[in-house]
Amino acid sequence: MSTRQTIRLTVNGKPYEREVEARLTLADFIRHELHLGGTHVGCEHGICGACTILIDGSSARACLTLAVQADGANITTVEGLRNRETGQLHPIQQAFVEAHGLQCGFCTPGFMMTTLELLGENPDPSDDEIKEALGGNLCRCTGYQSILDSVRLAARRLQSASAA
Amino acid sequence: MAFDIPTRTEDLPTDAPRFIGKTVNRIEDPALVSGTVEFIDNLSLPGMLHCAILRSPHPHARITRIDASAALALPGVEAVLTGEDVARWCDPCFTAPEGWGNYCLAVGKVRFVGEPVVAVAASSRYVAEDALELIQVDYALLDAVANPDEAMAPGAPVVFEERRTNVIQSRTYTWGEVDRVFAAADRIVSRQFRWNRVGANPTETFGCICQWDLADNSLICRGAYQTPRFMAIGRAASLRLPANKVKVVSHAQGGGFGGKGGPRGTDIAALLSRKSGGRPVKYIEDRMEYLLAGGGQSWDRYYDAALAVKADGTVTGFKVRLVDDQGAGAEGYGTISAAKPLAAFTGNYRIEAAFYDLTLVATNRAPTYPYRGYGPPPHNLVLESLMDVAARELALDPAELRRRNYIRPEQFPYTVPSGNEYDSGNYAAVLDRVLELADYRALRETQAQARAEGRLVGIGVVSTVEPGVFDWNAYATVGVPGVGVPEGVKVAVDVFGNVTVAVGFNLQGQGQFTVAAQVVADYLGVDMNSVKVTTASTDVALPHFGQGGSRLGVAVTGAILGACDKLRQTFCRVVAHVMHTDPEQIELFNGRLRMKQAPEHGMSIAEVAGLMLSRSDLLPPGVEPCPEATFVWVSPNRNQPDDQGRCRSYLTAAAATHVVQVEIDRDTGQVKILGYYIVDDCGTRLNPASVEGQLQGGVAQGVGAALYEEYVYDAQCQPLVSTFVDYLVPTIHEVPMTVKDHLVTPSPVAPLGAKGCGEGAIHTTPAALLCAINDALAPLGLECRETPASPQRLWKLLHDQA
Repeated sequence: MSTRQTIRLTVNGKPYEREVEARLTLADFIRHELHLGGTHVGCEHGICGACTILIDGSSARACLTLAVQADGANITTVEGLRNRETGQLHPIQQAFVEAHGLQCGFCTPGFMMTTLELLGENPDPSDDEIKEALGGNLCRCTGYQSILDSVRLAARRLQSASAA
Repeated sequence: MAFDIPTRTEDLPTDAPRFIGKTVNRIEDPALVSGTVEFIDNLSLPGMLHCAILRSPHPHARITRIDASAALALPGVEAVLTGEDVARWCDPCFTAPEGWGNYCLAVGKVRFVGEPVVAVAASSRYVAEDALELIQVDYALLDAVANPDEAMAPGAPVVFEERRTNVIQSRTYTWGEVDRVFAAADRIVSRQFRWNRVGANPTETFGCICQWDLADNSLICRGAYQTPRFMAIGRAASLRLPANKVKVVSHAQGGGFGGKGGPRGTDIAALLSRKSGGRPVKYIEDRMEYLLAGGGQSWDRYYDAALAVKADGTVTGFKVRLVDDQGAGAEGYGTISAAKPLAAFTGNYRIEAAFYDLTLVATNRAPTYPYRGYGPPPHNLVLESLMDVAARELALDPAELRRRNYIRPEQFPYTVPSGNEYDSGNYAAVLDRVLELADYRALRETQAQARAEGRLVGIGVVSTVEPGVFDWNAYATVGVPGVGVPEGVKVAVDVFGNVTVAVGFNLQGQGQFTVAAQVVADYLGVDMNSVKVTTASTDVALPHFGQGGSRLGVAVTGAILGACDKLRQTFCRVVAHVMHTDPEQIELFNGRLRMKQAPEHGMSIAEVAGLMLSRSDLLPPGVEPCPEATFVWVSPNRNQPDDQGRCRSYLTAAAATHVVQVEIDRDTGQVKILGYYIVDDCGTRLNPASVEGQLQGGVAQGVGAALYEEYVYDAQCQPLVSTFVDYLVPTIHEVPMTVKDHLVTPSPVAPLGAKGCGEGAIHTTPAALLCAINDALAPLGLECRETPASPQRLWKLLHDQA
């Protein structure tokens, strides 16, 4: 029933080589083979966006991607945000903490990865642009207002950091 | 020994609270944003198997044959569980009222689509799901009852044969002279309403890992449990284990909103562990399973209600007939949510008499479970919609009609006809502030202009009371006996002066760990960073409940204050002994135990704890070397209900008024929210940012319930909703960015004056939106009395008229 294939990919800067079943989702691969549990699975239909990661810099649903499709890819997950040595939070993470952009925190990695992509492309987004970018991520706790605040704060922080 | 639980922040042993009442960063958040919190699916145990569940495709059918031999032969499959095992080893889940429950997995017949029929444990979830495809189940179809009308018709098929009826409960409550006030009314306004099924849908579904120790005959359940001890007792009952042999370990949860706990999934995983020789078995519910049959369907209601009104706008009576489609049984305590409105039946108003006729009906829809608000969101929608109808008929502004009927500030504590006592409030002041915040007059002007242009613009002004800090006594008349809901904590100071708070619940999103740290830090005068909050498993935890009923923030505050007061008394004895004086001469202030007469002489918390742990020779007689204290808080002054359900149930009464302006698109039926304004009063705001988060999150869920979300079933009782493409959870585009302000009327009876605040917004938003929609439709002579007021429903309403 299973076809196994070898894949090579980079996750958060670290190279991996693994043999996987062809049907294994990228979300399950990241979570259960690489033990990076921060990419959460909320619906497995590509609707909720909790499992959003960056594949070669672009946001993608890990639940709708097969691990074998990521062969050769450069992947960033929420674990790649924080400074590896110091543990210092990324400005986006810090902004979500300070602006209370999360409650249960289950959807938050997906929101932050989408934000990372957005602010990379558009360092000073308008509210409408933020909403457009985050329209594919569901949050059941916050009602989104503090998430909007968090992204605004993150944009300001990143801009002043790059200006300095 | 008596313990002092201050109801005012001024009474804390500090000159100024440094954390309580301040917007502080949550101690939960660094781990959550790092992705390192151990949600249950992040945990793996050695030798762990994975469970998948084959579910019924039929709403009502007898199981005539199950052949799982091919599944069992599949490499990687370790155990298969069927109804035969369950009937041998289990009892049905206990329910309220008792006797209306299913086994965790169908025995003999299925009662709803999605009911578990066979479960498999295998080496991976992938293999377990492969195995499901090899299982053959034969069914003999039975006629289904798809709604309460069908269920109550003579000769209807019976969902639970041994009950001989589909009516779970039918009773009336009469409070005051209802007939007299209705006979004396100048006007009676009555309407029927239909509230379709909605539900919690936390982003994380239920999950657990269960391990049955065959040698000890004991069970460990790790998982997404919002009420750990309650869950442990339930598992002991259904799995026929002594309660002290069931240990529940609650993990952080990705939201809850009521139904987080998965009794069926837990029992199934536990039995699979038992059948596979005691290996741990993980079950992670997927979203389709959640939407079909998880703990997320609530409030399937048919209302017929009336208000008795005087010519001057005084509302004197309120009658409600409710038929509530419970689905296939009372396993999820959906039944008792029909009794929650007793805690605030007549809302913010001085309505003198009320009547409630309640019929709970079993059908072949999925069983209903608790959802945030637990009943009042539909109830308030009915009451507030009728207030608007009355205002229209009397040509009064809806805000003015409400103002005329509010309970006045000097009337508190105020006992409502349905028996609960509201602690405090100032409803007119809340209304004044929100009308000012919204610039209500300007909203009415823009509405008039829009109407002149033929646009459908409407305004809702809705007031509600949020009963906070639930008590079991509220539910005695629907089958849950008891008074008091304990919440216990342990506060321990270590030799370095760090403080650990052990609670019985885990994270779910509301920020109670932070509240716990704020309270303990202000009381003991330590820094929040030196407070660690941790979850005790049920085998060692103190009596507790966990999240539920707008209660935990207040309850955990009370428990910590009690434990801190115990510590303070012990510390005073120790310090007095060392200083050769009386304990009465010592006080705790700003983190030091000091002499009242000579405050420069004293010891820090760390010094006292260190002394207690390392110098037993200096301890006074009778004091243990233990700088720790436990306290189990319970709402003060609760009582047993009378036969009409009247009692002091919920401790606090927060209040809010929402003002919303909407526009309906005539061509699409889409409702656009033009502006949303909230003023609330939940007493002391322990962490204001968390309070605002609760409000805004409740608004979002209210928007979903009022405009988009619906568990749709067809006429044969087949669910038509199975993904988030069908069940429409609002996105950032649908939820309004609200404008908020607040008043503070502290509770005179609750710890630090804080009132429960987790449910107020979802109590209010659906009513506010429907009132605004009907205000928009009023010039056309139309009314929408069914939720969700979806684009399809409103378009049909507008076009059927044309």
